[in-house]
Amino acid sequence: LGACRVSMSMAEIRAGFAAIKANIQSRDPVRSLSILSHPHSLHKVKSSDRCCIAHHLFTFYVDKVFRHCRTEDSFVNRKISSIANSFLSARRKLGQCREQNNCVCGEESTEKFKQILANYEGLNVTSAAMKSLGELDILLDWMEKSR
Amino acid sequence: SGELYCSLPNPRNVRFESVNMKNVLHWSAPEGSGDGVLYKVKYAVYGVGKWIRKPECRNINRTWCDLSSETSDYEEQYYASVKAFLNGTCSDWMETARFNPLTDTKIDPPMVSVSSTDKSISIILTAPEKWKGSPEEESISLLQVYPGLQYNVSVLNKKTKKRWFFSISNNTLVVPWLEPGTAYCVSAQIHVTTPLLDSGFSKEHCIATLKDK
Amino acid sequence: GDAFLPAPQSISILSTNMKHFLTWSPVIVQGATVRYSVEFQGEYEREYANGSWVPISECSLTTATVCNITEDISATVAYKLRVRAQLGTTRSQWGTTKGFFNRAMTSLTPPLLMVVADGHHLLVELADMGPSFQFRVLYWKKGQESRVQQKVLKEVSSVLHLDTMEAGAEYCVKAQAHVEAINRSSSFSPTQCVRAQGDKSMWL
Repeated sequence: LGACRVSMSMAEIRAGFAAIKANIQSRDPVRSLSILSHPHSLHKVKSSDRCCIAHHLFTFYVDKVFRHCRTEDSFVNRKISSIANSFLSARRKLGQCREQNNCVCGEESTEKFKQILANYEGLNVTSAAMKSLGELDILLDWMEKSR
Repeated sequence: SGELYCSLPNPRNVRFESVNMKNVLHWSAPEGSGDGVLYKVKYAVYGVGKWIRKPECRNINRTWCDLSSETSDYEEQYYASVKAFLNGTCSDWMETARFNPLTDTKIDPPMVSVSSTDKSISIILTAPEKWKGSPEEESISLLQVYPGLQYNVSVLNKKTKKRWFFSISNNTLVVPWLEPGTAYCVSAQIHVTTPLLDSGFSKEHCIATLKDK
Repeated sequence: GDAFLPAPQSISILSTNMKHFLTWSPVIVQGATVRYSVEFQGEYEREYANGSWVPISECSLTTATVCNITEDISATVAYKLRVRAQLGTTRSQWGTTKGFFNRAMTSLTPPLLMVVADGHHLLVELADMGPSFQFRVLYWKKGQESRVQQKVLKEVSSVLHLDTMEAGAEYCVKAQAHVEAINRSSSFSPTQCVRAQGDKSMWL
């Protein structure tokens, strides 16, 4: 991720998400809106900005998303807890890396992250959180492509 | 299009079936519908608010529709939907789950080519290519799509029935110090760690080492 | 339901090779079957979800006094676990683990390794230790201890080819398990040495 090489259990997070992907995405009926991929794609973020944007996105998921994703399904809740705790652990490492490498967010990427927040604020909180969780593979695909 | 009330049962099990990112929409006919049912198909890029009709899959009686070119950007995700018609009535639009070409495709085994000397065999592996619309288009190996791609190679000594496995990242493998005049059978599998994608093993390619001079 | 039921005691976590088990002492009520329920709380729940607890359905109203928590302890953060007893409608207080548990504390045992010489080929077989594991295999020609070679192996469900050997030479191998998720390794397995087939008998 730009200057940051953070070891995180991507395979574990992927496995956790794969187990609940269909369930979570089926709770998001809105096809025409995306939190992460439209109108701007994560794949257009400059490599020098990736470390900073990734840290912002992990903070976004930890602070805003997971807490509003509680469901009636115990299995889904346990997987969400597993992903949330993995994100917490990864964010801590990303944060340390950002400080060590003085990763700065460029103007373009700051704009991109503001767009993500605007997409999120444009929906009611539960819908926005569930949609964001359902887009976890978009984030993971981008992070792996950035490695 | 004059469809006031759709009482026809819905198409069932609408889903993408994808191999090497050749992404084909499949469905089953409505229950008990018999012959004569026609279908039309539309698709949408997730996050973009427009359903797009697929003209080549309008009023078709088959139960599949190739949407590979419409879904070839694997940085996007997609939905597709099918509607059935019979004798002036119709069904509802029935949608797929969200389709992510990168994680939801299956991968074919690699191509295996083997040559031998009297005491060694050389194996060259070729990862499959991503689907492309026409031969003129640039070929993209799945190796470029999945940078962490590895090969698991199995080498079976037909005489001793012993099987060895090799795990390699590059696409060539030379196995020296083998027995002359002996048949060895090679098959290989592709392994991608994240996203977790494994191809099956290729069919076995057998070759004999040359007899000792 | 106002009879008193003591909370389970001696609650502890046994963790070996990234498999984690919660155990506790049984609550004894003569002539009755006491059941137990287990919940976990990760750092996320403590810091961001109002200290909420997540039930483990496989260990809800169980009569066992052990619960496999491996699937739920799936991040490298500090967890707390709790268990309570239940008899009919009477529930005990929660008994909670003292301190925190982080899977980085798991004890790692050296891998089971089998080394085979097949002609000139050095082969190893490693017992599968689960998806979190990969193996660092060191091997060297006896007498050349300074020229140790290394391979990292992930797929282990079969006989793996390590390298080819010089005719008649003796090679030694040892391996350690490594868990990337917690960035720790086990100690090495005992070294095993095998001899490559000599030249004179080589298909003359």
